Amino acid sequence: MSEFSIDPYVDLYAHRTSGMAASEVRALFAVASQPDVISLAGGMPFVEALPTKDLLAVTHKVIEERGALALQYGGGLGQPTLRERLAGLMAEESISDADPEQICVTAGGSQALDILGKIFVDQGDEIVVEAPSYVGALSAFSAYEPKYVCIPLDDDGMIVDKFEEALLKGAHPKFVYTIPNFQNPGGVTLSLPRRERLVALCREAGIPIVEDNPYGLLRFEGDPLPTLKSMDPHNVIYIGSLSKVFAPGIRIGWVLTESSVLQRFLLAKEAADLCTSTLTQLIAEDYLTGDRWKRNLATLVEIYHVRRDACIRTLEETFPEDSSWTHPGGGFYVWVTIPDYCDSQRLLAAAVERRVAYVPGTAFYPDGRGHNQLRLAYCYPSEDDVEEGVRRLARLLADEEALFRSLRPRP
Amino acid sequence: MTDSIAVLAGGHSAEREVSLLSGHRVHRALTERGYRTVTVDPGETALLESLASGDFAAAYIALHGKEGEDGTVQRLLDLIGLPYTGTGPFACQVAFDKVLAKEVLSAAGVSTPEWAVIQASALRDLSAGHILRHVVDRVGLPAVVKPARAGSAMGLSFVDREPDLPAAVMGALSFSEACVVESKIEGIEVTAGLVGDPPETLPLVEIVPKSGIYDYAARYTAGVTDYFAPARIPPEVAASCAREASRAFQALGLRDVARADILIDTDGRPWVLEVNVSPGMTEMSLLPMAAQAAGVSMADLCDRVLKLTLQRA
Repeated sequence: MSEFSIDPYVDLYAHRTSGMAASEVRALFAVASQPDVISLAGGMPFVEALPTKDLLAVTHKVIEERGALALQYGGGLGQPTLRERLAGLMAEESISDADPEQICVTAGGSQALDILGKIFVDQGDEIVVEAPSYVGALSAFSAYEPKYVCIPLDDDGMIVDKFEEALLKGAHPKFVYTIPNFQNPGGVTLSLPRRERLVALCREAGIPIVEDNPYGLLRFEGDPLPTLKSMDPHNVIYIGSLSKVFAPGIRIGWVLTESSVLQRFLLAKEAADLCTSTLTQLIAEDYLTGDRWKRNLATLVEIYHVRRDACIRTLEETFPEDSSWTHPGGGFYVWVTIPDYCDSQRLLAAAVERRVAYVPGTAFYPDGRGHNQLRLAYCYPSEDDVEEGVRRLARLLADEEALFRSLRPRP
Repeated sequence: MTDSIAVLAGGHSAEREVSLLSGHRVHRALTERGYRTVTVDPGETALLESLASGDFAAAYIALHGKEGEDGTVQRLLDLIGLPYTGTGPFACQVAFDKVLAKEVLSAAGVSTPEWAVIQASALRDLSAGHILRHVVDRVGLPAVVKPARAGSAMGLSFVDREPDLPAAVMGALSFSEACVVESKIEGIEVTAGLVGDPPETLPLVEIVPKSGIYDYAARYTAGVTDYFAPARIPPEVAASCAREASRAFQALGLRDVARADILIDTDGRPWVLEVNVSPGMTEMSLLPMAAQAAGVSMADLCDRVLKLTLQRA
């Protein structure tokens, strides 16, 4: 008799990996990437709309003029010239006087999330997140084994009163993580009064806010609201990203924070990867020089706007009456609530069978909620495909309703 | 040898990921045995065109789930005259569909847990939801609800209380047009690898998921399930499992290779749950484990299955 050990190190792994398991949903996504499936799942920027000539020009110029620098290690904070550009970019988001010396360039916003988890969170520490929240942030934080304090959302973003209640009940969070603009996955934006309240509450309680703002410049309508960072420069750790403004493939994000936080952040960042790719930093810097990036971004925003309209219009036309959805004023996502008898995780199998995919709501909660919710990303498929994808989902829900009506216990 | 072997892996089913891993391992195993091997993914390229473009002697089917296990691919390969590993189309179709397979097994006297079938069309078109009462009367609780046509425990639920049955049925019907509600047998879970014709039963593999449930995560996350081969059961119980597995193989008209999933109840009686015509071949899969317990390497196992096919051709 022998015991088969598929993984001889199973007893050696750190406790923090215990939640890392294979899943049915991941397996279904492997099918959802097939070309004939309309994917409303991944939040992939429509990089195809970026002019090739611009990309060739910047890449060529970097290699030709600064090749040796581009291929060398760089400083942990990132290229000073890029940090100046990023400070300029943040001025577009109401952060008018960002100090480049308080910026650390990271491998996408994701790395900033991981490092903030690393420097703030010990096992069992409380952190506040919106419910639902960005699945990538939850994955990054979960490795540090926090206890999540989940604050629900409504159409005006995080319900700050509920946060206050949690504080009154004795919550001692290490930080509050929020995506105030066009939230992922909610699509909602934190209202100005709530911004003011959140900033005041956190300042009073000495709890830093981690403001994640990858979508702020992707606005379709309404006036921009001030960033939390601009409202309280000292108590807000701001995370920016070029993934949606330029392209995710270059993996450039950054953090803007007080020098004291930045000191630890930098040491942790250097320990993780010494420095972010110098090559892509210089490409990003060049791309952000002049107004070209703004023109390209305006084109992208227009495309996303059209696709959002298609998504909302088709939802209104086809979805069952007992479902509801948010109305994103920008960004990539619509958050849909379907009837309670639906299980969006299992329904994904039937959706993929009908050649459409979404992300089940459960992915965005740390506590298993969201079975009757789902996230639709309208950013990548064409307008026609967004429409057709939503139609396919609507037919699926109609069939599901018929099943439910039949199974419902009769008096 | 001059001709190549096409390893079919990937495809469109929900088990695409697993199949790609199986295909990769089969590819390496056959290459190790000296075959010229090409992997063909019907999810990426047009299957027949890809097969026509190579000079293939046979196809090794490492597809899992629909198309690869339900006879669709086998029927195509029969038409173009390309020999392939494993079972023919009709028997695949029956074995893959739990609704049909349970009938065949039961008619042949193979012991399989009591069951009832629920079809989505009966619910949608005939409003036959009240049938659940009769299902519970027939099957009893606790029960297991499974999609008729799916693998890797996808869409499977355990139901202890009658009010939970509708949700479990709806979940299973997301994966398939029909589902099977089966009596839950408490006991030891084993699987029997079967190779050859008539089939030789490999040593039984005993499955002990640490969570208690052998679900998708327990199947494909390394280290969260313990496996014992041979199973830690008395020899006479092992022998009766092997006998049932072999009878199931023959009743279903299978060929070359299969894997029978069996539960042994507390009285030592084996119950055949299902038989897979294209067993997983990943590092975490049960058939390669069973072979290894018999001293048969992955390369030898694949070689043997392929030789059975080439001899038939």
